[in-house]
Amino acid sequence: MAVNALAVEAGVRLGMHRREAEGICPTVVTVVGDPGAEAARFEPVVTAVESLIPRVEIAIPGLLFVPITGAVGYYGGERALLDRMIEEVESVAGDGFRFGVAGGPFLAHRAAELAAGHPPLRVIEDDAEFLASLDIGAVDREELVATFRWLGIATLGDLARLPRAVVVSRFGAEGMAAHRLAAGEDRSVLPRAIPADLGVEERFSPPLTDLEQASFAARALANRLIESLRPYGIAPHRVLVEAEATDGSIRARTWRSADPFDDAALADRIRWQLRAWIEGVGSEIRGGLRALRLDPTDLSGAGRQMSLHEDARSAAETHRALVEVQAIVGADALLHAEPQGGRDPNERVSWHRWDEAPAAPVRDPDAPWPGRIPSPSPALVPPSPRPLTVEWDGGMPTRVRLGSRWEPVLSWAGPWRSVGRWWVGGGNDLADRYQLVTSAGAFLCEVRAGTTWLVGIYD
Amino acid sequence: MENHAGGTSEGHGLVTGVEQVAGIEQRAWVASEIRQPEISKLKPPDSLLHLEKGQVAALIGAPGYGLTRLGLSLLADHAEDGPVAYLDVRGWLSPLAAWEIGIAPDRLLVVRCGDVVRWGRAAATLLDGVHALYAEVPNGVRDTALRKLGAVARRNRTPLVLRPLRGSIPSGVATLRLEADTVTWEGVEQGHGRLQLRRGRLIASGKAVHGMTRRVEVEDDGANAVRLVSDMAVAEVGRATG
Repeated sequence: MAVNALAVEAGVRLGMHRREAEGICPTVVTVVGDPGAEAARFEPVVTAVESLIPRVEIAIPGLLFVPITGAVGYYGGERALLDRMIEEVESVAGDGFRFGVAGGPFLAHRAAELAAGHPPLRVIEDDAEFLASLDIGAVDREELVATFRWLGIATLGDLARLPRAVVVSRFGAEGMAAHRLAAGEDRSVLPRAIPADLGVEERFSPPLTDLEQASFAARALANRLIESLRPYGIAPHRVLVEAEATDGSIRARTWRSADPFDDAALADRIRWQLRAWIEGVGSEIRGGLRALRLDPTDLSGAGRQMSLHEDARSAAETHRALVEVQAIVGADALLHAEPQGGRDPNERVSWHRWDEAPAAPVRDPDAPWPGRIPSPSPALVPPSPRPLTVEWDGGMPTRVRLGSRWEPVLSWAGPWRSVGRWWVGGGNDLADRYQLVTSAGAFLCEVRAGTTWLVGIYD
Repeated sequence: MENHAGGTSEGHGLVTGVEQVAGIEQRAWVASEIRQPEISKLKPPDSLLHLEKGQVAALIGAPGYGLTRLGLSLLADHAEDGPVAYLDVRGWLSPLAAWEIGIAPDRLLVVRCGDVVRWGRAAATLLDGVHALYAEVPNGVRDTALRKLGAVARRNRTPLVLRPLRGSIPSGVATLRLEADTVTWEGVEQGHGRLQLRRGRLIASGKAVHGMTRRVEVEDDGANAVRLVSDMAVAEVGRATG
């Protein structure tokens, strides 16, 4: 829903029901939203901002984001840039706009909502303080917000202070998304080109002159793009839409979305954009549409890496399930492992949480590691060596105590001696490793200072 | 959330933001040391050691008989399709064994959970999302919980391997039951050599073997999935074989 300035003055607010709005302001008129028409009316504003900074992203008709850091120096300072931008927008759109400046799109949007006065500009100096002070309604999920309020969570700061695992356990993926927002984990603004071979293009002969035809083509192309990315398990958060006219001129716009685009949402945006270009004055597509191209940018794998052959639809289900598992067992109990250089089975594994990127290996897994325990590797390795009772006779193992019984050692290999990190003073850390075979299985053990320890079970 | 209409229809919510670096989130994983098994050495899909979607298998036996590697082999086929998970009660699983069998590092999830109540919820939830699950079963899990888990696996068509840490699995949960019988190793002598090849004998029973009891022998050389080398029906005492 949206309200104009006059309605706001009368007391109508976003989110109100129609009857409530009419009760406050009996002369209020309700119109059905037309995003395509709004995109057409918004196009001059986009063009005006783009004339100053070319990297504009549109979220919805009426809302755009643009990164300003790189342009501040060129315009002689942030305030100079903002004054210039306000002037440009005023010249094409008059009153009724609001500016917000902050460290990310979410906060910038919230700042713009609170902008008042003339010019209607709100610059956030302390992002963290502003974020924490925002009403919980900024989460923008009606039922979730109602529950949060009932629980006494009134601001994003209140939400951010709660342990994420607790929030996820109670509210699932929606809770996770809300907590991330409250914690300041926002998507950045920077449309950046990616390899061209991920883009899709359609050329039209004869050129399309009808908006309906163009809309149909837009839907087909959006579907083609999303389907082409699906085998890679990725979806775009931003898409550059390029339209080539018969005179060779090219119009381009980047559309962004907090959630990865699906084909329907993307098709809508292309259709709105084409309408804005076709119906707009000064930026129309002369002579008809000769080609339409979509280039995805800011691709997301929904928080984890996917591989070829993996269906993105099922990947979303997997992600949801793993979020829930993480909430059940704790974030530190859902793990991936990566190979690492080393000699012992424990050394050769680097663990990391499922939802975190792995750290670079501390030890090169490709390097030769003389003295490494050869494969097959034991499948079960205790986190730290366990005492193992072994009887030795003249340096040879004879029997092993497994639980309550003794098992004779049928065969054995070793010792492989490890001398520790003697170059840093660890020379006293001598250990001899053995592989012991019994009728109940094989075990990797090490003998250190006369004591035998279980290091692995070949299970 | 920012796709909800936030600006006015007449006024334009115009915002600016601080520039940050964005880029492609896709990266390529290269598993350089872990050898992938040769296709010819992979177990054939129609062998006893292949779990169909929704099939539940039980592995019975103490640590040392090679059942963990056998279970990982049962997961390996399905890791081609997507992530597989190991529900680790004791926290002892070494992913080296999984990598040697051919499960890519980014395809193996390890979930550490020893609490009986949370174990059940975690296992059921994993069956909703992964392509196969190996679950160590802690002491104290009720038979009804295991039966429900089996039903979830069948409904979701997710292969499930259950490995009780003690005891067995109640009847009716698993269509394939593999119980460790004997294990021997080659390559190790008296103080020299090294472990090279494991030979194990298992007793297979359940609907997957048509209600018969079969003695199967498997080999595991550490570089490939566990493979079946012989399969023999065993007559039960007091019954005729047909």
